[in-house]
Amino acid sequence: MILYLGRRLLGVVGVLIAIAAVTFTIFYVLPADPAAAACGKSCSADRLAAIRAHMGLDQPVWRQFADFVTGIFTGRTIGSGQYTLHCEFPCLGYSYENSQAVWDLLMDRLPVSASLAFGAAALWLGLGLSAGVTAALRKDTLADRVLMVGAVAAASLPVYFTSVLLIYGLIRATGLLPYPQYVPLGSDPVQWASNLLLPWLALAILYAAMYARQSRSSMIETMAEPYIRTARAKGLPRRTVVVKHGLRAGMTPVLTIFGMDLGGLLAGAVITESIFGLPGVGRLFYGALSSGDQPVILGVTLLAATFIVLANLAVDLLYAVVDPRVRY
Amino acid sequence: MNTRTLTTVAAALAATLALGASGCSGGRDGEDSARDGRGSAENPATANNGAVVGGAPEKGGTLTVLSNTDFTHLDPARNWVMGDMDFGTRLLYRTLVTYKAAPGAEGGELVPDLAEDLGAPSNGAKTWTFRLKKGLKYEDGTAITAQDIKYNVERSFSPDLPGGPDYAARYLAGAEGYQGPAHGKHLDSVKTPDDRTIVFELRKPFAEFAYATVLPTFAPVPKAQDKGPQYDNRPFSSGPYKIESYARDKRLVLVRNTHWDPATDQVRKAHPDRIVVTMGLKGNQIDDRLIASSGADASAVSWGKMRPESTPKVLTKADVRARLLAESSNCTEMVQMHTGRTPFDDVRVRQAVQYALDREAIVTASGGPALNDAATALMPGSLFDGKQPDTLKIPLTGDAAKAKELLKQAGKPDGFATSITVSNGDKGVGEAIQQALGRAGIKVTIETVDPSAFYDTIGDTENRTDLVYTGWCPDYPSGSTFLPFVFDGRYIKEKGNSGNHSLFRDKPTMQRMDEIAAMTDAQQANQAWQQLDGEILAKAPTAPAVIERMPLLLGANIAGAYGHTSFGGQIDYATVGLKDPAKSAG
Repeated sequence: MILYLGRRLLGVVGVLIAIAAVTFTIFYVLPADPAAAACGKSCSADRLAAIRAHMGLDQPVWRQFADFVTGIFTGRTIGSGQYTLHCEFPCLGYSYENSQAVWDLLMDRLPVSASLAFGAAALWLGLGLSAGVTAALRKDTLADRVLMVGAVAAASLPVYFTSVLLIYGLIRATGLLPYPQYVPLGSDPVQWASNLLLPWLALAILYAAMYARQSRSSMIETMAEPYIRTARAKGLPRRTVVVKHGLRAGMTPVLTIFGMDLGGLLAGAVITESIFGLPGVGRLFYGALSSGDQPVILGVTLLAATFIVLANLAVDLLYAVVDPRVRY
Repeated sequence: MNTRTLTTVAAALAATLALGASGCSGGRDGEDSARDGRGSAENPATANNGAVVGGAPEKGGTLTVLSNTDFTHLDPARNWVMGDMDFGTRLLYRTLVTYKAAPGAEGGELVPDLAEDLGAPSNGAKTWTFRLKKGLKYEDGTAITAQDIKYNVERSFSPDLPGGPDYAARYLAGAEGYQGPAHGKHLDSVKTPDDRTIVFELRKPFAEFAYATVLPTFAPVPKAQDKGPQYDNRPFSSGPYKIESYARDKRLVLVRNTHWDPATDQVRKAHPDRIVVTMGLKGNQIDDRLIASSGADASAVSWGKMRPESTPKVLTKADVRARLLAESSNCTEMVQMHTGRTPFDDVRVRQAVQYALDREAIVTASGGPALNDAATALMPGSLFDGKQPDTLKIPLTGDAAKAKELLKQAGKPDGFATSITVSNGDKGVGEAIQQALGRAGIKVTIETVDPSAFYDTIGDTENRTDLVYTGWCPDYPSGSTFLPFVFDGRYIKEKGNSGNHSLFRDKPTMQRMDEIAAMTDAQQANQAWQQLDGEILAKAPTAPAVIERMPLLLGANIAGAYGHTSFGGQIDYATVGLKDPAKSAG
């Protein structure tokens, strides 16, 4: 088990460095020039050159990349001349747009994206799984059809449409909820939840629909397995058969996509955060994209990759817990 | 030119401007229709122009600013965006000289701020001396010194602190190649003989230097507080408010700076106790909240432009319309033609574009006549005593027949194909241009570019399209901050070109610009710029299209508000406050 974990973690580091290298190269060959963006209107060639040198953009790309990777592990000093900045471990670079270290920016936004992701995940898991399992156990009945038609309908609604609909229905027309404004969980849990309820719903509706369909087909397949028949034949109560034998095995594929989805969302739901004006990682990313803030784009990409890779690892480990047949 | 002349001229200028502005808000319809050649009704959006909305504010309360975005820079060495300069210099830091706090054209007048007067020129306006007022203090109670202003001017040269105005680099003697106060290097051309005197030595005479000292470059920054790029997150206050907290892109909270002495400040009124800027809101949500103006939103103002789609909701309701500011942004948007390439090297082809252009359609595509004015000259109205003249006398919807005739004369009777670059948001404008030029046989392909890459794309003189759609805003009310930036061929750069996108290299024009720049009589210079505007327009390097307004919604509890003409129509933060502070959220 420990050996397995060590091997996997090494793999994670490799994957992340590869992703960083690819992202780095992509932004290096793109025409956007962060120095020109920072320099502003009527920028002279001399000044542009000085700014490029300060940002380290005059170095060859492999050198910049080596500095970047070293910085992650040891921290590094950025800039030259009068103002040298020390960017501490784990240094993901410095955003010239926001005048802050990328790591600090990410850590500042992460609670918002995490609140959004975990809250929505709880909602969609609850709604999606119960709908999926119910439909699977009542296969081909009216309840199954109604639930699945509903799921198809919900899954085909893009999040920007549901969001606008929810904003209209719950804020503009009725005034039931406030325009979402992020309130930290620590300062007021009730405000935190009531402000996030709308974005949670907007995200959860889409995912719940997909999870309902996924868990239904997975449950139908599992419930047809011979060992379920055996369990039934032994005279076990239906509840035990469904929950202990069926659900545990049937949830493995759902768990796989859940890991990916949650990992991706932790690094920011760009559309949802933008629509509801939540200052999370997703909106940071969107802002960085439109202003060409390269260090932030790189930082968010790496963060997202880290979450997805780690979530995958966690899911693989959880298989052993959920499904007794799996051992490492 | 000495100080007295400058003040007189400014006053004269202001008086004429005021006439023009009052005309805008009513009573000059006859002239409007004459100019447009059609019966245009009074613009309901501009009813508040030249007036203070909401009456006189009471002291106290919390003013909320609803914004879709963060400030670009609040570090005074880096702040060069109209609205940000308004916010920074009216609330957080003071400059040597500033603009008068008044609606309409009076806002173009200069008044002393940290300095006792508007500066004393000597040595043929090559040396400028400013003397600071007594009793000026920072937020920690320490004295503001002339050395601190020199220090901020110097740090604005540092490559670590890019983005700020470049007037210091352009005019100070010995500034070439200077890279900031690193390693104890200082600018000898800025002298501080004592704590209250600062002397600037310029490399050429500059009669309008007092206007440049309004820019945040000329605000004080004490060396001990300078944190390099991080200073942007917490500029040290010399104004009526200081920063309590600033979470970038989320929320900025300002509280009173108790060491600011109103007796030393004739501009800032500092009515609210607190100012809270909430950032990252969606534009349409801001509009909806301010239209409804319920609860704490009644004490709020919008930071960004009202969305064009909100216009009908606002203009149809008298009570909401009364809370709309729509001062001119003073930026002229133009179709700029590559005068170095065929067929645009032929003046008749360029004139054909001027004639074919349908400015009415562009106005519609930019959000309608309530929020835009068709441009009839190059420089905006603020540089024409309040109102642009109709120099070209072309109908606003264009004259396709005349355009075709000009093309025929130029040997292009069947027209030609060309392309235009527009920013993503201006796609509709691009289509209006495409359609209008199509009437004269000019086939236009539209290339849309993301705003972040727009200036890089059009600044590449080698690879850019023949036509680009972009504009220019004067930094202060003088032709010297418009025409040379847009039409002086010596400013052209092969890459990263800005301003002169028609790549106009006309010897007589450049010669005339130098002559006007050397004039010491501001009034004479002003008239000369206005005349040159018409001469350039006749050579047709660009076709002026629209001048946008800055529509801003106010909550019902807002008082003392007007769009400041010298800050691109942004609310003057020196005077805005609340009718009833008790109604605002704590």
